[in-house]
Amino acid sequence: MNGAQLAFIGRRVRNSLWHLLWSHLLTSVAMAMTLFVFGALMLLQHNLQGWLKGWGDEIQINAYLDKSVDALGAERLLDQIRAFPEVERVRYISQRQAWQDFRAALGTQATVLEGLPEDVLPASFEIWIKPAFREGPLVEQLAGRVRAQSGVASVEYPQEWVERLALVVLAVKWAKWIIAGVLFVVTFFIVGSTVRLAILARKDEIEIMQLVGAPEEMIQAPFVLEGMIQGLAGALASIVCLWSLFQVLRLQMAGAAALFGPMSSLQFLDPASLAVILAIGWILGATGSLFSLRRFMKTWRG
Amino acid sequence: MIQLYHVSKLYPPHTPALTDINLQLAKGEFVFLTGASGAGKTTLLKLLFREEEPTEGQILVDGNNITRLNSRAIAGLRQKIGLVFQEFKLLPRLTAIENVALAAEVVGLSKRESHAKAYHLLRELGLKEKYQARPQTLSGGEQQRVAIARALINDPILILADEPTGNLDAQLADETMRLFFKIREKGATVIVASHDVELISRYGSRIVSLRRGQLTDDLRRVREGASH
Repeated sequence: MNGAQLAFIGRRVRNSLWHLLWSHLLTSVAMAMTLFVFGALMLLQHNLQGWLKGWGDEIQINAYLDKSVDALGAERLLDQIRAFPEVERVRYISQRQAWQDFRAALGTQATVLEGLPEDVLPASFEIWIKPAFREGPLVEQLAGRVRAQSGVASVEYPQEWVERLALVVLAVKWAKWIIAGVLFVVTFFIVGSTVRLAILARKDEIEIMQLVGAPEEMIQAPFVLEGMIQGLAGALASIVCLWSLFQVLRLQMAGAAALFGPMSSLQFLDPASLAVILAIGWILGATGSLFSLRRFMKTWRG
Repeated sequence: MIQLYHVSKLYPPHTPALTDINLQLAKGEFVFLTGASGAGKTTLLKLLFREEEPTEGQILVDGNNITRLNSRAIAGLRQKIGLVFQEFKLLPRLTAIENVALAAEVVGLSKRESHAKAYHLLRELGLKEKYQARPQTLSGGEQQRVAIARALINDPILILADEPTGNLDAQLADETMRLFFKIREKGATVIVASHDVELISRYGSRIVSLRRGQLTDDLRRVREGASH
């Protein structure tokens, strides 16, 4: 195909987009809605994964000491726990320190603590685990060994929550592909219908082009290009909507930072994920139109 | 130039459109294809520009066997053939010059070249003043001349015209026939399918008659159409 033929195809695409503007716009909107749902699930998965990773990195075991353990006993226990190969570092929090931390966390509402004895909270150890030992069973094993130490009253660790969140991430990941898959199929046929309309609107032109010897690819290329443009336009629109949604959510979450903690810092999709959305829009548009084109032109020719 | 060997065409399920046609046409020859409606004239033309594939036999155009071709080769063949139809087949949303230029643009000529060539042809065919007109504002004869200009724009070696005067009055039919003879003088082979006996008797040089899909007559007259 030479430059003149490419220019001719370009003019046909421009004319068709103009003449069937509404139909092309509606298809792009349908495409944008589909990709928005897909992108929103992707965004959710992306952030859940981020939180999961953050939790995993900060995974720690809290060991609460029996009230009968004195300072010397706590010192001895600290040395024992530090000696475990899985332990990265250990921080001792005395009853007094725990009380002060708790008061600080309550801020202006700390008055509710008035009248309570300062030794109401137990002393504890915050135990950080080395990265190589942060897998579920290993954490559980370590927690068991800490619990078995004399002087340790109870042990808490967020492994269960991490595992639950991992399950949620997995569920979102699957839901994303199942929901989006159904929507992709619907969009595929919507694109096909628009192309069919465009073919019908230019049926005479196509017939004449065939009769004067236009190569097949020259007849088909404008329709495929239209599909690609619709797909890309829909994908871009969905990214803009996602970005707007993200900004709104980020503002809302920032206002509730104290409540959500690290979860309040939302991350937008990375460039690779945005490229995936654009690529899906592009491919859906191209294949939807190509499928319809082949099918319709075959039927038409008999 | 054109050779047909034992060509038959059967439409499903069992309707014969052409049966065992043998025909040879020389380069630059002017041939009338005649016969009643349903005789097989249009089918024969369709086989030549490969809108239809023969059920049996072989067809050679300019030395190339066109019996079995892929879509790319069919496009290539059609670029060498100019087609003229009774119903003109012009696009109403395009002007006369755009209709003509379209045929050149799709085979790779730039917009500027195509329009220059189309304008030159329209001027030659007496449509200098009407090149910007849309088909629906032109008379039947003018529309047919636009269609002929489109058929000529890629310098075809073969012109196939299916009842080109069917929608024209006697005077316009005469004008159109004279145009075809002028085209023939440039070296193209011309095949005109018509059932207009009176027209054929005035212009016919070689007359191939079909009846119920069979070739019944192949008459060559001494008085060639050159005199027209």
